[in-house]
Amino acid sequence: MTPSLNPAPAPKTPQSAKRLSIWYGVLIFIMVVFIARLFYLQIIRHDHYRAQALSDQLKEYIIPAPRGIISAKSGSGTVPVVLNEKLYTLYADPAFIKNAPETAAKAAAITKADGGEYEKAMKSKNSRYVVLARRVSEDQKKQIAALKLPGIGTQAQDYRTYPQGSLAAQVLGFVNNDGKGNYGLEQALDKTLMGIPGKLKAITDAEGVPLAASRDNVQVDPRPGQDLVMTIDLGMQKTLETILKAGTQRASSPGASALIMDPNTGAIKAMANYPTYEPSQYFNVSDANLFNNAAVSSPLEVGSIMKTLTASAALDSGAIKPSTTYNDPGHWELDGHSITNIEEDGGPGLHSITDILNLSINTGATWMLMQMGGQTGQVTQAARDKWHDYMVKHFGLGQLTGIEQGYEASGYIPDPDKGYGLQLTYANTAFGQAMTATPLQMAAALSSVLNGGTYYQPRLVDAVVDGSGKLTPKKPVVTRKSVVSPSVGESLRSMLEFAVKDHFKSGFSYLNFGDNFSVGGKTGTAEIANPAGGYFTNRFNGTYVGFVGGDKVQYVIAVRINEPHLGKYAGSGAAQPIFGALAHMLIDNFNVIPRGGG
Amino acid sequence: MRARRSHLGQSSDLATSTGQTSRRHRPDYVILVLTALLMLIGLIVVYSISPGLSASQHVSQGYFVSKQLLDVGLGAVAFMVAAYLPIRRWAELAKPLVITALVGSLIVLFTPINEIYPAHRWIRLGGFSFQIAELIKLALIVWLANFLNGQWRKGKLADTKATLKPLIAALVLIAIVVAKLQSDLGSAAVMIAIMGAMAFTVGIPLKKVALISVVVAGVVILAISSSGYRRDRLASYLHPGRDCKGNSYQACQALIAVGSGGVFGLGLGYSVQAYGYLPEASNDSIFAIMAEKFGFIGTTLIISLYAVFITRIKKLIERTPDQFPRLILVGVLAWLSTQMVVNVGAMLGLLPLKGITLPLISQGGTSLVFLTAALGIVFQISRYTSYNVQEPKTGSGAGSSDQNNLNGRRLRGTYNPSLTTRPRT
Repeated sequence: MTPSLNPAPAPKTPQSAKRLSIWYGVLIFIMVVFIARLFYLQIIRHDHYRAQALSDQLKEYIIPAPRGIISAKSGSGTVPVVLNEKLYTLYADPAFIKNAPETAAKAAAITKADGGEYEKAMKSKNSRYVVLARRVSEDQKKQIAALKLPGIGTQAQDYRTYPQGSLAAQVLGFVNNDGKGNYGLEQALDKTLMGIPGKLKAITDAEGVPLAASRDNVQVDPRPGQDLVMTIDLGMQKTLETILKAGTQRASSPGASALIMDPNTGAIKAMANYPTYEPSQYFNVSDANLFNNAAVSSPLEVGSIMKTLTASAALDSGAIKPSTTYNDPGHWELDGHSITNIEEDGGPGLHSITDILNLSINTGATWMLMQMGGQTGQVTQAARDKWHDYMVKHFGLGQLTGIEQGYEASGYIPDPDKGYGLQLTYANTAFGQAMTATPLQMAAALSSVLNGGTYYQPRLVDAVVDGSGKLTPKKPVVTRKSVVSPSVGESLRSMLEFAVKDHFKSGFSYLNFGDNFSVGGKTGTAEIANPAGGYFTNRFNGTYVGFVGGDKVQYVIAVRINEPHLGKYAGSGAAQPIFGALAHMLIDNFNVIPRGGG
Repeated sequence: MRARRSHLGQSSDLATSTGQTSRRHRPDYVILVLTALLMLIGLIVVYSISPGLSASQHVSQGYFVSKQLLDVGLGAVAFMVAAYLPIRRWAELAKPLVITALVGSLIVLFTPINEIYPAHRWIRLGGFSFQIAELIKLALIVWLANFLNGQWRKGKLADTKATLKPLIAALVLIAIVVAKLQSDLGSAAVMIAIMGAMAFTVGIPLKKVALISVVVAGVVILAISSSGYRRDRLASYLHPGRDCKGNSYQACQALIAVGSGGVFGLGLGYSVQAYGYLPEASNDSIFAIMAEKFGFIGTTLIISLYAVFITRIKKLIERTPDQFPRLILVGVLAWLSTQMVVNVGAMLGLLPLKGITLPLISQGGTSLVFLTAALGIVFQISRYTSYNVQEPKTGSGAGSSDQNNLNGRRLRGTYNPSLTTRPRT
């Protein structure tokens, strides 16, 4: 039969119908399998997948609190020296970068960076966040955003900015890219300045952007960091830095420190080191020593300035009197070594206590120490124990002062009872060798003597301002009372004043302070320990401690200058001129009240 | 009305098969409702995830929804056109459609490849892109229905030379054009499933079907082994979870989306996986997103909607007296069901990822428009169903028992006169 003659059979044959049913059955069966599978995935394994989803999606973010700003005093007001500036971090998410070379070139053109570096970063594997550039300005950020480059993003971050440039750089320290304070105040008071970061726990998209429409988001707002008002006086600090720089350069010294302290409160009015750096450019500094606040962090064998404390201790303990004179033998033999005087003046003969300080007689300092043990010619254990007690318990040497600075160093005071050659070692400590201390420790200790016996903790923070603007002044902290009796302070003051006057008379014309002001001080030329043993014969550090005031001591100054190359004694040749300039600066500009004026 | 009613009889080719065509009656509105419902679901889902999509793909918020709205609009037009174009016309269109599909396949070879269009699959005009494989699917169904109808009518279904050779030629052509040149194994698989379903249902002897299957298996193995990324996809299917950060990323993220939905889902606006985690969230992966949003209850409902759809079309097939429209129905059912099975199966980790859209819900303009066109034809055919054919055998009371008779095969020859037209050579 031809099909055309076929009288329209129903196309559905039983065989065809059966096949359709089989096929249909298979489809329905598959759908039942799907529903079973869905039951398994969505109900039985729900917790597993939910946990897996959250491990990808739930991210915890730290919301940084605005960091506290730092101000210095200026007259009766304050001036900010550390502020915050919003800059941007430019980053790439390699997973979303479509055309790396082109994207890199476009972004680099705006930041004026190397496109090749960007491209390399964009092609990095196993990372969804590669930093391309930091400290991108608001303007550059806008330009980049306008390009709408896929996979490129910016993130705001607060950076420190320094309106006064390098002023007090080492005192301030810096804040690194992770928002952590390094060195100085920033390190010591990191927590205070940082505040309490907020937290955002949020479901995010694949790029890490929190989704608004999420029920699980938890947000804790940050508590802003507290602002600090430093005890530092802006003008005094600036002048001190100028003087220090000039003095250091004049002496061709590799580094120097100076500080001015208020002996009646412990407040540091100015403190600097030279050379210094720009804290805003800290990441370009290759020598980490530049970050160091050497006045606080680099102890040294202080040399003859120690004699001020030796004399104070001997006077306070009653071993000697201000009027005591003694017969100096010119040298002492102790533990098989000879103690001699390296400075020109003061040979053997009859000397006063004032002479010991004025002429810087090592054998005299040793004699004073011997008197503390009551046995001339011997540095007895009693003498050592007493002197050790004064150094550590009265003057706070060998311990941290607790000043608000990162990496403060405690220095070193030898044990009075253990070890070899203790007589020799302790005789050395009487004139500032065989021990170490920081200029800050020396200034604080001398302050405690000169103010009549109260050791104030040296401090840099005058007040703290919280988020609401409430200012809380910091009170002076008394660490120790009765360091020495007030009469010892008076004695020391007149002896040191005499020394300055005498130096002026002997030719140091810059030490001309007249009779209205009370200015005193002590030089130190410290031998430098040779790591191979003994001391270098031709390398010295210069040191100076002194004070400025009228009826009352108003400022205590400490100076150290490393290895000056002036061919003279380091103390009188390199450190003393810096002291002199600082003392003049204080008298000229910083309200030193003359005798009879208060 | 009269003219329209008689249109099936006017084609000489179809005259004999449509001589007893049932009268035109009310169409099966369920088809229309289901089509519209699934498209609406797709629209809502795409709308709800467009903030995530626009964020992760760096386009404007309205982009995805307006695109989907446009596609749904085009789909509605396609549906209406197909529903009112007489079925006879479709038979006549078989050849032009095939030629258009072939020409289109040639054109795509000359379209440049870029990051958004990584293979020769799309004809692009202005802002529109047109995936040629979708046209091929429609052309294939129409051509195959026409061809098989003819062969069936001539009684040559089992004829190797007359029927099998053209079928195998078509298969090879699909393998070369779609799987190889367009690198679109997913679409090729759907086409092969359509061919298989139509050949199987029209009644080609099982031996021959087996022969075709061998050819298909060979082509599939060749296709997989010839392409690195297909090997990767297969490997990621066989060992899911081994490389969730690499090749299996999409598969793993799909499972996370499905599993995190739970019983009730996270809620319409609370999908997280759509925010850049799960690739192709608005098209190939949309089922997983829905699973995340609507939970087990929602997914069961959606699967059920497809089951109802499939059942409805199956019923239509059973009630369609004419072979050509019936085969069209079979083809469309195969299209719809295969895409659904392959897509959902992949999202559930049961099948390898194929890059195939979820019918009517997924975003994917061409797929949506051509499938709605095909469903428009189904809608039209639903006007001509006959309850008579629902009974197993017109004019034969033995029909129902026949199907349940274990010896039905032998019995069939005795009672069914039409068998003479299908000699078992």
